[in-house]
Amino acid sequence: MIEIKDVVKTFDGFAALSGASLTVETGSVYGLVGPNGAGKSTLIRVLTGIFRQDAGTVCLDGRPVWEDAELKARVASIPDDWYYFLQANINDMMRFYRGFYPAFSQERFERLGEVFQLDRKKAIRHLSKGMQKQAAFWLGLSCMPDYLILDEPVDGLDPVMRRQVWSLVMDDVAQRGTTVLVSSHNLRELEDVCDHVGIMDRGKILLERSLAQLQDNMVKLQVVLPEGMDAVPDEIPVLHASRLGRVHTLIMRMSAREAQERLAPCHPLLVDAVPLTLEEIFIYELGGVDYAVRDIVL
Amino acid sequence: MISLNYRDSRPIYEQIRDELRKLIVTGAIGVDDKLPSVRALATELAINPNTIQRAYNELETEGYLYSVPGKGSFACRPQSADQARRETLLEELKGLLSGLRCLGMTQAELLGLWKEAQA
Repeated sequence: MIEIKDVVKTFDGFAALSGASLTVETGSVYGLVGPNGAGKSTLIRVLTGIFRQDAGTVCLDGRPVWEDAELKARVASIPDDWYYFLQANINDMMRFYRGFYPAFSQERFERLGEVFQLDRKKAIRHLSKGMQKQAAFWLGLSCMPDYLILDEPVDGLDPVMRRQVWSLVMDDVAQRGTTVLVSSHNLRELEDVCDHVGIMDRGKILLERSLAQLQDNMVKLQVVLPEGMDAVPDEIPVLHASRLGRVHTLIMRMSAREAQERLAPCHPLLVDAVPLTLEEIFIYELGGVDYAVRDIVL
Repeated sequence: MISLNYRDSRPIYEQIRDELRKLIVTGAIGVDDKLPSVRALATELAINPNTIQRAYNELETEGYLYSVPGKGSFACRPQSADQARRETLLEELKGLLSGLRCLGMTQAELLGLWKEAQA
């Protein structure tokens, strides 16, 4: 279990993290999303013990991460700016990882070799960006981690490899109960792989829910109101409303059934409930905190 | 066996649930046939195992499958499941019918369709 509580991290007076808290249950896949500069990568660096937080606690299984080598040996991390030694090839890096991770599985490393068809004897820095990322997954998964921390993990991978990588990660979650924390901007993909989502903004976690809760607690309705009724009555809480001709599109923070019940007294001519995608939830949630797409024409 | 449509607005677990139900109802997965394990499906579709489990749980509640601890999930088709399915389909049909009526379709024309469907 990952527990981050009220973590603050400042750089030259700028608070990259200003009281961030999140919890990831064991065996859960947690998607960390947020606008650019929200502090996702900083949070990940604090979680993996690269940065030391100014305040707050960062614990894995109840133990603080900072300088706990034994604990960190159970964590594999794929950062967005990975590092390999100059001239090192995959075999060299494998021996390096094997030395640091007691659980490293040579058998798994060989089996993954069939998936990632990379030249093991070529210097990694001579491989393409996407291939270097594949190498990171190859090495990371071979460590048999209890925790897998991924920062923008599938950036730069081709569509086949993205799916392949997610398939491997999902298999690991199903088989070994690996706990995964993944930051990404690809919400479509996160929707498939995550069961929990945290939305981060300006150094804080705005909201943290299970995907099921998110999907069941927000709904998009397309409504045609009867003649003479121009807007939905004020007493019905609407998060966002827009209108095209007679069709009103309403975003409401409740289940589809409840929303339909609330609207029934208006006698709408048509009510159509559409579930929201994670992308829409992200946009509407952040729209509430003044982060929205602006209509600017250049 | 199961295909997900990423342009579909239904959540993934609903798509998996509906697809599996279709396979069971049409007999593509026979009664007492074993369903793929959560892990196998999660790996194949690259989907979170908990999402698959949620689809399986719903199907179990609806009565389309039963699980045997340590063995896996198996398909079944109880009467109550057919009944529940009939109710949802009837609800959908009611919506469609009122739509067609608004478009000026007559009772006779609808009855014609009914006969066509039986032929």
